[in-house]
Amino acid sequence: MAPGKPILKITGMLGALVAAVLVLTGRANADRYPLDTLSPKSDLTREILWLFKEVTILDSIVLAVVVVALGLAIFVFSSRTGEPGAPSVKHSDMWLEMAWTIIPALILIAITVPTVRTIVHTQPDRWPQGALTVRVVAHQWWWEFQYPSLGVTTADEVHIPANRVVHFELVSEDVIHSFFMPAIGGKRDVVPGQVNQITLDADVPGEYWGQCTEFCGIEHADMRFRAFVDTPGDFDKWVAHQLEPPVKPDSGPAADGAKIFANAPCAICHTIKGVSGFSKEYNFGFRGPDLTHFGERTTMAGSIMDNTPENVAKWIENPDALKPGVKMPALGLSGPELSELVAYLESLK
Amino acid sequence: MSDHAAQPAHAVGHHRAEEAHHPGPVTYIVIAIVLTILTAFEIGVFYAPFLQAILVPLLIILAICKFYLVAAYYMHLHFDSRVFTALFMFPLWLAMLIVASLMLLFLYLSHHLVT
Amino acid sequence: MAAQPRPIHIEQANYLEGGGIVGWLTTIDHKRIAILYGMSALVFMMVGGIEAMFIRAQLIVPNNTLLSPTVYNEIFTMHGLTMIFLVLMPLETGFFGNFLIPLQIGARDVAFPRLNALSYWVFILGAITLNLGWVFGSAPDAGWFGYANLTSRYYSPGPNIDFFDIGLLILGVSSVMGALNFFVTIINMRAPGMTFMRMPMFIWAVLVTVILILLAFPALTVGLIFLFMDRYFGTNYYQVIAGATPILWQHLFWIFGHPEVYIMALPAFGMISEVIPVFSRKPLFGYPMMAYSLILIAFLSYGVWGHHMFATGMGPVADSAFAITSMLIAIPTGVKVFSWIATVWGGRLRFTTSMLFAMGFLIEFTIGGLSGIMHASAPIDLEQTDSYFIVAHFHYVLFGGVLMGILAAFYYYWPKITGRMLNETLGKWHFWITAWAYNATFFPMHFIGELGMPRRIYTYAPNMGFDFWNKFESINAFILGFAFLLFFINLAWSTTNGERASSDPWDARTLEWSIPSPPPIYNFAIAPAVNSRDAWWVMKYGNVESHGLDGTAAAPPPATAAEIASIHIPAPSLFPILIALGIFSMGIGMLIAWYRMILIGAALMAFCVLSMAFEYPRWGEEDEHAVSESFLGLDMRKVGIWSFIGSECVFFASLISTYMVYKARSQGPFDAQILSIPLTSFSTFILLMSSLLMVLALAGFQRNDRFWGTFWLFGTAFFGCIFLGGQVYEFGDFWLEHGMVFNTNLFSQCFYTLVGFHGFHVFIGVVWLITMAIAGALGKIDSKRALSVEICGLYWHFVDIVWVVIFTLVYLMRTIKQA
Repeated sequence: MAPGKPILKITGMLGALVAAVLVLTGRANADRYPLDTLSPKSDLTREILWLFKEVTILDSIVLAVVVVALGLAIFVFSSRTGEPGAPSVKHSDMWLEMAWTIIPALILIAITVPTVRTIVHTQPDRWPQGALTVRVVAHQWWWEFQYPSLGVTTADEVHIPANRVVHFELVSEDVIHSFFMPAIGGKRDVVPGQVNQITLDADVPGEYWGQCTEFCGIEHADMRFRAFVDTPGDFDKWVAHQLEPPVKPDSGPAADGAKIFANAPCAICHTIKGVSGFSKEYNFGFRGPDLTHFGERTTMAGSIMDNTPENVAKWIENPDALKPGVKMPALGLSGPELSELVAYLESLK
Repeated sequence: MSDHAAQPAHAVGHHRAEEAHHPGPVTYIVIAIVLTILTAFEIGVFYAPFLQAILVPLLIILAICKFYLVAAYYMHLHFDSRVFTALFMFPLWLAMLIVASLMLLFLYLSHHLVT
Repeated sequence: MAAQPRPIHIEQANYLEGGGIVGWLTTIDHKRIAILYGMSALVFMMVGGIEAMFIRAQLIVPNNTLLSPTVYNEIFTMHGLTMIFLVLMPLETGFFGNFLIPLQIGARDVAFPRLNALSYWVFILGAITLNLGWVFGSAPDAGWFGYANLTSRYYSPGPNIDFFDIGLLILGVSSVMGALNFFVTIINMRAPGMTFMRMPMFIWAVLVTVILILLAFPALTVGLIFLFMDRYFGTNYYQVIAGATPILWQHLFWIFGHPEVYIMALPAFGMISEVIPVFSRKPLFGYPMMAYSLILIAFLSYGVWGHHMFATGMGPVADSAFAITSMLIAIPTGVKVFSWIATVWGGRLRFTTSMLFAMGFLIEFTIGGLSGIMHASAPIDLEQTDSYFIVAHFHYVLFGGVLMGILAAFYYYWPKITGRMLNETLGKWHFWITAWAYNATFFPMHFIGELGMPRRIYTYAPNMGFDFWNKFESINAFILGFAFLLFFINLAWSTTNGERASSDPWDARTLEWSIPSPPPIYNFAIAPAVNSRDAWWVMKYGNVESHGLDGTAAAPPPATAAEIASIHIPAPSLFPILIALGIFSMGIGMLIAWYRMILIGAALMAFCVLSMAFEYPRWGEEDEHAVSESFLGLDMRKVGIWSFIGSECVFFASLISTYMVYKARSQGPFDAQILSIPLTSFSTFILLMSSLLMVLALAGFQRNDRFWGTFWLFGTAFFGCIFLGGQVYEFGDFWLEHGMVFNTNLFSQCFYTLVGFHGFHVFIGVVWLITMAIAGALGKIDSKRALSVEICGLYWHFVDIVWVVIFTLVYLMRTIKQA
């Protein structure tokens, strides 16, 4: 007795319908989902998307064949009492077996050839003369960005020019992380002891999000960053601004805050160029993000929250409450001292 | 540990009597002498300056010879059922694949040291 | 504890009865051992399921604070470890494998019943070790594949990773022992007439699986040993100091890890291949190709491991190579799916719960396999890896695929195992709720993966596109949990209220259905004579192609009382559980750094191993493991030792590979400066000569010359001791003259580890030789017992061969450093 065939049919179709609706509505808005992997904005991610679409189509065909064949088999051959005719006992068929070996092989070749082409094409060992090199340094649990040729160091947010080859060098200060910028870069692991690369050419200016995607300890979930693709003009402006010395407030709470910074342990981990930050030998000023132009960043603390005075205050007061396990200690600052320090930091535009 | 009413039908033809084709002690001693000579060759190759260029392939060949002699004669593979040779060959190839792959993979990695 | 084999009384109805608790603790009956595995695995299924419920509860809303990141990281790690090592593997090989292999091949038990029991006790103690972390508030927390260098003592200072390391080492020992046992059983103990091409497909699947276990676990063992050394002895296998790299762990782990997923998948394939033909009343379609595809999948599975590392920067050549091999492995897998569908096609289908789960398996595993093809393309994987897309993929193949296959097998085999039918109505509810809830939980993970949600995150920000689907998944996950509750209720209910099962309630095709449910202790009163595939079907209906719808099945002739009374069952033994306790004690001793406990454990283990080796046959008794019992005419212990040697090849290959790649990266003293060729040449000569003495000893015993046999055995042991003395001198010289200790640099650590482990093998060999020599001196070895000397010899010669390789690669091919 074949149970529930109608149930099977209806459930299956209903489920597929619901899923389809939700997927399509979801994908229609995908662009506003900042980590979307299917909205490419660079040459690299466009090649990847092409491959993805090809495989999805081929996969869907195969799935359809399997589902239809099995579904038909189930519906047609379920036993019913009194059914006349004996079941077939055919258990081999050379042509069929060859077909379902060779056809999948051909499909796989159709996937493998462009795959290998893309692999080779997207991992060049040479870059054009005008390429920009950005050195990404991964720490537990924040991202540092250096521009060796420009002399710029920042954290949490990386700026790159559009329509120019950018070559990311990935190094880690501690454990294995993974640098994931779905819209423009795919991902590449950041492995201590070696230098990994991503080479890309982003062509749509905008703000793109990224996150660490290799489990790296307690706060792996909160190791995020922002990537800004600027027009070449905007990029040059940004670089020039980064090279300027930090704001030195003369009066007001910010000025008091500057004094607090200079006297508190902040300087041991955080660099503000010309104010704090010692030689790398002593590992001073490099354990935490560079704060020289902190005020103009949109996010903070591994890009887990917006850079607002309230958030900065909460963070300094008790970092562990916002990011349990973080390496920054609570400094015992509160009240007016805290707000002065916050004012100073936010003034570092 | 139990009795069978029926004798097993040896449908597969891997059946060589264990006691046939046994090398005698003389053969074993001869093999031991050959192994010693091969080892002496290896050490000679190691110290001979004019052979340094082909040190690696020569050593590998000599090692394979020793390996074969011990496996085929002392471990009796030459005389035993081919099942045992198959049982040894597959893991051996896998082992060589692992060593070769890892060496190649790390060769690439050595171009990626921290700068 | 040695006892004579005892005769069977006809009143002893089935294997489940009698013996009390002690009977279960000392059992060596494969069916009881299977029950022990099964019940343990079901308990861990509940544990792993609860861990999953916690994960989903934490992820139901963004920025949730139900679980702290510390606890969450432990929970997702343990969920993975539990499901893989404590649920899927023990259910497939420990439970179903153990129970069914002898029954399907027409044997009375497995090749080495006490080793079988030992595998179980080591398993359960390893499982406890892994979970002991919970008790101390420090469960493993670096993911189930624990990537270095996060797992180093510096970045994971607590004992969490030690529980991971030692727990997995112990579990690995259990798996390898079980695999060796099943391998020898299937090769050697098939019923007369059961050639390879007439075996049930489940047996094919398990055969290939155990080969994978034997040849994959050693790589993991080596990786774990290196981790242990880093954490306890300050070596630098996985640190970035002095030239090492954490990538080494990934390679060693995935060389094991990819075969591991096939170790999980293949038995489920086998189970499906049993269930579908029975409920379609048709033979399995394309049997030969199904068998060959299993072999091809196993073979290829050793060549695809890099696809887990596409993001690590292996370079375009390696990426392309692994992409190609990973695509290749899809072909034999596809052949299987199509063959199963072709089996269903044209049959007379019965939708029992078992068959429903089999149908579910086909769809879900196909979906999982297809998303796998996506990941196999390295560039696509750079978007998908480490995201929820991967989580979707492996839950589709492992849960929708493997676990549904296991559930199909549960509903199918429960009557045979317990003698009771499961409730079909409850079963169908279980299936339909699972079918909905499972897909609703895991299919949307493809969506959120595409939307960029990384895996292993304890929380996520709102408005990323993850909110709705995570909530949807979590709610359905709880429903899925409920469905499993129905399953457990069904199992419990059936043991008292289930309809009593006949020997063949499903009108099935293979030999296990020709005996009562539950089976008697001795399985088969008379060894079945096999003339074809689907042996039981042919006995009933005359030929494989018969559809069996006309006429009644012929019943097998009942066994006579005389035949049953002449069956001897080997006696139970206390040693397996004691040996396991010794190993456990060593593990715990290492965990808490209490060295006395390690020594006591080692002593207990050594004493019990020796006792068990001499337990029976008792001296003077006929060796019961007669060659005549063996299908291929090969002695079981010889097949066993060669399988073990195969496994050791991979073990030493992993050690040698590490030595070769690290000596080039080492800084400081290197081989050409330290190693002494003259000394080592002498040691090499000694070891080669010891092999000569060994064969002379064997030849002596084979011609019944006990004096010379014993003499040469002592000689071999003596030469072994000289070799060991040379090693001790060499190590001492390096230490005292060159100041080279274990963790001086990469060269020193790899050298000492590789040569040290080889020396340890020599040491075990010497102990073995001395034991045999003493037995020889006491007159216990004669030409009929010469095989035990041959087995020892094979081990000894293998150790010699490994030295030939080490001597060449380590000593003679010294590094030529540029000035």
